[in-house]
Amino acid sequence: MIDLQNISKIYGSDVHGLRDINLSIEPGEFVCIVGTSGAGKTTLAKLLIAEERPTRGKISIGGWDITRIKKRDIPYLRRQIGVVFQDFKLLKQKTVWENVAFALEVSGETNRRIRETVPHVLKVVGLEQKAHRFPHQISGGEQQRVVIARALVHRPKILLADEPTGNLDTINTADVIQVLKKINDFGSTVVLVTHNREVVNELRSRVITLADGRIISDKKHGKYLIQS
Amino acid sequence: MFIITPVGRVISFAVKNITRNAWIGLATVLVLVLALLSVNVLVGVNALASSAVTILEKKIDVSVYFKPETPNAILDQARSYMASIPQVERVTIMTAEEALTAFTERHKNEPTILDALNELEENPLGATMVIKARKTTDYPFLMENLNNPQFSFAIENKTYDDHSIAIQQVEQIADSVRYFGLILTLIFAIFSALIVYNAIRVAIYTQREEIGIMRLVGASNAFVRLPLILDAIFFAILSLAIAAGLVALIISFGEPYLVSFYDGEDPGLKSYFVDNLLPLIIAQGMAIIIIVSLSSWAAVGRYLKK
Ligand SMILES: Nc1ncnc2c1ncn2[C@@H]1O[C@H](COP(=O)(O)OP(=O)(O)OP(=O)(O)O)[C@@H](O)[C@H]1O
Ligand SMILES: [Mg+2]
Repeated sequence: MIDLQNISKIYGSDVHGLRDINLSIEPGEFVCIVGTSGAGKTTLAKLLIAEERPTRGKISIGGWDITRIKKRDIPYLRRQIGVVFQDFKLLKQKTVWENVAFALEVSGETNRRIRETVPHVLKVVGLEQKAHRFPHQISGGEQQRVVIARALVHRPKILLADEPTGNLDTINTADVIQVLKKINDFGSTVVLVTHNREVVNELRSRVITLADGRIISDKKHGKYLIQS
Repeated sequence: MFIITPVGRVISFAVKNITRNAWIGLATVLVLVLALLSVNVLVGVNALASSAVTILEKKIDVSVYFKPETPNAILDQARSYMASIPQVERVTIMTAEEALTAFTERHKNEPTILDALNELEENPLGATMVIKARKTTDYPFLMENLNNPQFSFAIENKTYDDHSIAIQQVEQIADSVRYFGLILTLIFAIFSALIVYNAIRVAIYTQREEIGIMRLVGASNAFVRLPLILDAIFFAILSLAIAAGLVALIISFGEPYLVSFYDGEDPGLKSYFVDNLLPLIIAQGMAIIIIVSLSSWAAVGRYLKK
């Protein structure tokens, strides 16, 4: 599903984001990516959605070599990967429903498709009852679940979440992780970047640990290694 | 359905942008209107200058005064000879009697002149022949032809009513107005491109969150780009309409004041704009739409490139 060969990313002339990464993620896997601040986790996530280009190496997603993807093809890649980024928020002046629908609108989907898809993804994240609230009328965890719902509108094969629980308390974190597990159970590959020790230890899934741009550990049923 | 949905959505996004950034939009329209007005001043000056030249050219002619008592046969000969020259447009003859009638009519309120005229037993005036050439440059040639010995002995006097200096002056003034108008138009065209560019940058800034989301959820670039370009084109069309209204207003109020400079004749401003309405609107519309499209395209392009 996701295949990285000898990937390096150098910002400018000498800031090493990633160094010689080899990584393969199978369809349906749930992968946690952990590491200290500056280890290169976000850099890895940005390479997967072609927000950044690798300096060296080769990336393919679902058999599609995106190493030198053309700019006009990027939208098609992004419809195959749902993204939940920390700084990638909801639009305050739009309701939950409208926020999710927006992703479909700007992709040129018909109104009929929108009316079918929005309730479906809101149900997946358990927010069908709060569809007509505005972001400030729901909790942080619920907001993050709306962001996940929005990431699901194109039925992506991969869901990529960069610290989706960063600002959440324990209960809201548990809700969000629950939703991610459910999406994984439906068959999507989930890549979760996180700092949260409890989350990683309870998930008992594959854990990849990055340090200074390198993979220092890759365990099938891993634990959170680093002390923060 | 496949096409209509995105098209409708692009338009509704475009409308939303305009209402959000109304002030910037207003400033943009103002500059575009100024650019269009300066173009039309240029067009107007050209029209005024060419009608002034035409009017002056119409006034150029040669008057030939014959001696009194020149026989009609000679007059006829002179007339038919001159009329046979291809460069001549028209020859008119005023006979001695007609000249006298015209003279008394002109001086009917001046008894001393009429008295003096009555003192004379014979008509002191001769016949007059007025020759109009097809082209102003042909007059010297016609003057030479008047030296024909068949009738030149009967000619008492000739006047060549030359307006070439006045024509030159009109053309000089028009040239310098054109020159400054061109510079003004160029400046406004550059301003237009810049202000549209900035208006679109501001529009991008006010909706950076939406655009960021659009790009991450896989909206095609057209969805980001088209509403913004559509906004710019909307500004262009609005400006075109406002400028057209202003030009119409200025002409209908201003032209009557020009009539006195034109000896009571039509300055030809309104008729020029009316006759060339469609080409003027199409040319200016195309030009302004191309300018705003390119500059808004560039503004969005710089953003999308990141
Ligand atoms: N756009 C950029 N330009 C230059 N350097 C960058 C850029 N983005 C990241 N870096 C550098 O690359 C390295 C990896 O950054 P990255 O954001 O991937 O870390 P991270 O693991 O996500 O950290 P955090 O846990 O704090 O989010 C860091 O040294 C960072 O300073
Ligand atoms: Mg990060």
